[in-house]
Amino acid sequence: MTVGPRLFSILRQGTCLIASIHTALDDSQLLRFQEDLIATIGRDRARGVVIDVAALDVLDSFATSTLRDIGEMARLRGAATVIVGIQPDVAIAMVRLGLRTGVLETALDLEEGLALLGDRMAGSPAARR
Amino acid sequence: MSTEDDQDTGEVAAGAAPDDEILLPQLVAHLREHRNRLRQEWVGRIDQAHLLQAMTSQEVAAETTSVYDNYVEVLETGSVGALQHYARDLSERIIPRGVETDEVVGIVLLLRDVLARSLFEKYQRDLPLLNRVLDAYEPAANRIANTVAGSFVDERERVIRQQQDSIRELSTPVLRVRERLLILPIIGVLDRERARQLTEQLLTGIRAHRARVVVIDITGVPDVDEAVANHLVQTVDASRLMGASVIITGLSPEIAQTLVMIGVDLSRMDTIGDLQGGLEEAERLLGYTVTRDSEAAGP
Amino acid sequence: MRSVPRVAGGGADSRDGGSLPGMPAPAPAGPPPERRRPLDVAALIPIVRRIVAARVPDRATADDLVQETLARVLAAVERIEPGMVEPYAIVTARNVVATMWRDQDRQRRHQHRVVDLRPPQLPDEDVLAEEDRAAMAEALTRLSERERSTLLAHEVSGQDTHSLAAELGSTAGAVAAQLNRTRARLRVEYLLAADRVEPPTPRCRPVLLALSSGDRRRQREVDAARHLLECEVCARLSEPLMGRGRSRDDEVRVAVHADADVVAARQAARDLATRLGFSPTDLTGIATAVSEVVRNIVRFADAGEVLVELLDSPRRGIRIIARDSGPGIPDVQEALRDGYSTYRGLGLGLPGARRLMDEFAVASEPGRGTTVTMTKWREDA
Ligand SMILES: [Zn+2]
Repeated sequence: MTVGPRLFSILRQGTCLIASIHTALDDSQLLRFQEDLIATIGRDRARGVVIDVAALDVLDSFATSTLRDIGEMARLRGAATVIVGIQPDVAIAMVRLGLRTGVLETALDLEEGLALLGDRMAGSPAARR
Repeated sequence: MSTEDDQDTGEVAAGAAPDDEILLPQLVAHLREHRNRLRQEWVGRIDQAHLLQAMTSQEVAAETTSVYDNYVEVLETGSVGALQHYARDLSERIIPRGVETDEVVGIVLLLRDVLARSLFEKYQRDLPLLNRVLDAYEPAANRIANTVAGSFVDERERVIRQQQDSIRELSTPVLRVRERLLILPIIGVLDRERARQLTEQLLTGIRAHRARVVVIDITGVPDVDEAVANHLVQTVDASRLMGASVIITGLSPEIAQTLVMIGVDLSRMDTIGDLQGGLEEAERLLGYTVTRDSEAAGP
Repeated sequence: MRSVPRVAGGGADSRDGGSLPGMPAPAPAGPPPERRRPLDVAALIPIVRRIVAARVPDRATADDLVQETLARVLAAVERIEPGMVEPYAIVTARNVVATMWRDQDRQRRHQHRVVDLRPPQLPDEDVLAEEDRAAMAEALTRLSERERSTLLAHEVSGQDTHSLAAELGSTAGAVAAQLNRTRARLRVEYLLAADRVEPPTPRCRPVLLALSSGDRRRQREVDAARHLLECEVCARLSEPLMGRGRSRDDEVRVAVHADADVVAARQAARDLATRLGFSPTDLTGIATAVSEVVRNIVRFADAGEVLVELLDSPRRGIRIIARDSGPGIPDVQEALRDGYSTYRGLGLGLPGARRLMDEFAVASEPGRGTTVTMTKWREDA
C-alpha cells in the first residue's frame, strides 16, 4: 500500500475477504480503499466481503455512499457485502443525518458478519460446508 | 456556570475607606504567617462541634488546608471564582458521603470565627484599628460563607437531579429474555429527551448482549403521535445499523393507519399487534438464525 | 498560557505550537529548592497526573498543570506536616485545575469588552523585537498629534492614566481605552510601514485594526475573516496580529484546501466539544455535521476556513463557522432540501448537518462565497 501506518488491510479468509479500516480516512483514501477492495474481489474471486468499520468515529454521507457503491460493485462481481462494527453513536448520527439503512447489509461485528455471509453463501450452489 | 467574579473583583476592598487599603494585605499576611496554628485550631473546633464526622481525620486535614488557603486567597484578591470551583469540587466529593448543608455552612462559619478571634488578639490593644480591621474582614468573610454554602446547595441539587435521571433510566430497562433477544418495554410519555436516552440505551444493550432481535413494546405509551413514531423509526434504523432486527409491538392497527396517513414511513418497521405475537416472530427469526448457526458452525 | 516553573521528572516540554508572538517565553527550568528535607516528587507524579488527566483532556495543558502542581507542593513542603504531602498534592492538583478553568472563564467573559482588561502591554513589545526603528518612526507619524502625545506621555514618560485624564478633561477609563486603540493602530501602521505597502482596498485598515485590537465584535462587523480570504496583503500582514489575544484555547481554526482537511476539521471540533462534556452521541453528531459542511468547501470552493469556538452564553455550546470564497450557492433554500446533490454523495450534506445541530444558517452570495454557521448547545447546561 503506502508508506507510513497502514490505513486499511484486506485479508483473505476462505472464499471471503475481511477488509478492515484502521483509522479515519479522508475522501481520497476512501476511494483508494474502494479501488483496492474491488480489485481484490475480482482477483481472488471472493464470494463475500466483510468490511469492518469499527475504527471509524464518523460515517458521513460520502463514506456511506462509498460503502454502498462497494456493495453494489461487489454484487456485480458475485460477492455479498456485510458492514460490521458500526458504533452506537455513529449509528445514531447516521440515522439523524438521514441515511437510509435498507441499502446496507450490517452485522454487529466480524464474527456476526462472517456468520451472516456464511448464511448468504449457504443459499447458493458455490457454498461449501 | 454563572460565576460573575469579574464584577466581584475588588468589591471586598471597596467596602473600606481608602486609607484602609493596606489593612487587607496586612490581614492576609497575618493569616499566612499563622497558617498552621490557625488551621489546627479550626480543625479542633470542627471536631468539638462534631462536624464532618463522615470524613477521616486525614481527609479533614487535607480539605481544611485547602479551604484555608482558598479563603485567604479570596481575602487577598477579592475574587471568589477559585473558591467557588473548589467548593463545588469539595461538594462533589462529600455529598455522596452524607455531609449536609448545615455542616458545610458550619465549618465555614467556624473558620470565620477562628480568624476573627486571632485578629482580635492581634489588634486588641488598638481598638479603633481593630474596628477597622474587622470592618474590612467581616463583609469579605460573609461573602465567602455565602459562596461556599451556595456552591454546596447548587451541587446538591445537581446530584439530586442526576439521581432522578438515573431512576428514570432504570424505569425503561432493556431486558434480555433469551440469548440474542432483547425486549424494550416502553411505558409512559416518549418525549424527545427520553427517546434519545432510550435509543442510546438500546444500542448499548445490543452491543453488550450481542442481540440479533429486539422487540420494542409500546403498549404502555399513551400517545403515539407523529413525533413518537418518528423517534421509533430512527431507533429501528439505528438498531439495524448495529446488525439487529427490530419488531414493534403494541401499535394498534388504527393508530398505524393514522400514522401512515400523516406520512410516517412505517414500511421500514416490522409491526405486530401484541407482545406475544412479537416474541413468536422474534423466535422464528432467531430459530432461523440458530439453525443457520448450527449448520454454519463447521470445524 | 502562564509560564510555569519546570520540575525535574515531568516529561518533555510538549506545549502546543511553541511560543506565540507576543507571548513571553516559558520561564527557563529552575532547579527545585534543595535545602529542604528530601521529598520524593517523582512518587507524587503518577497520582497528580491521574487527577489532572481526568479533568483536562489536552495533553500539553495537562503536563503544564502537573508541573505547576508539583512546583506548588515543593514550595509549600516546609509548611506541610509529614504524611500530609500526598493529600496536599491531591488537593493542590484539583485547585490548579480549578484555577485554570476560572482563568479561562474570566477571559471568555472579558472577551466582549471594548476596554482591554488584560494586563497592560507595552505598545509593541512583540513587534519591536524584530522591528526596525524607521518603520516605527514612520508609524508614529501616521498617528494624530493627540494620539501620539498621549501614547508617548504614557509609555515613555510613564504618566499614569489618572493624571492624563485630568489633563485631557476625560476619565481614566476613557484614556485607557483610547490608549489601547492607539496601540492597535500603531501596530497596524508599523506593519504597513515595515512592509512598505499601501492597503489595496478601503476595507483593509478597518479589518487590520479590528484584528490588532483583538476586538472580536468589531472583527465580525467588518467581516474580517472573509476579507482575509480575499485580500492577500491583509492575509500576510495579519499573521503577527492574529497571535494577539490568541492564548485563547477555546477556539480552533482549520484552513481548508484538501480532502484531509475535512478529517482535521471534524477532529478539531470533536476535541473542543469534548471539553464541554457533550455526550458521545452529540460529539459524533457534531463531528459528522462538520464533515458534511467542510466537504462542501473542498468540493465547491478552492479554499476556505473553519472556525470552531466554544460559547458560554446564553448557554454553553459549540459553534462552527465554515467559510469559503467559492462560487456560492445559487439557491440556498433548494440546497437545504433533502435530495439536493450536485456531487457524488447522497444529497444529505446540508439538510443532514442541519438535523444534527441545534441552529443552522447558510449565507451565500453568488461569486463571493458561502458561510455556514451552526451551533450545538449542551442539553443540560
Ligand atoms: Zn486588505
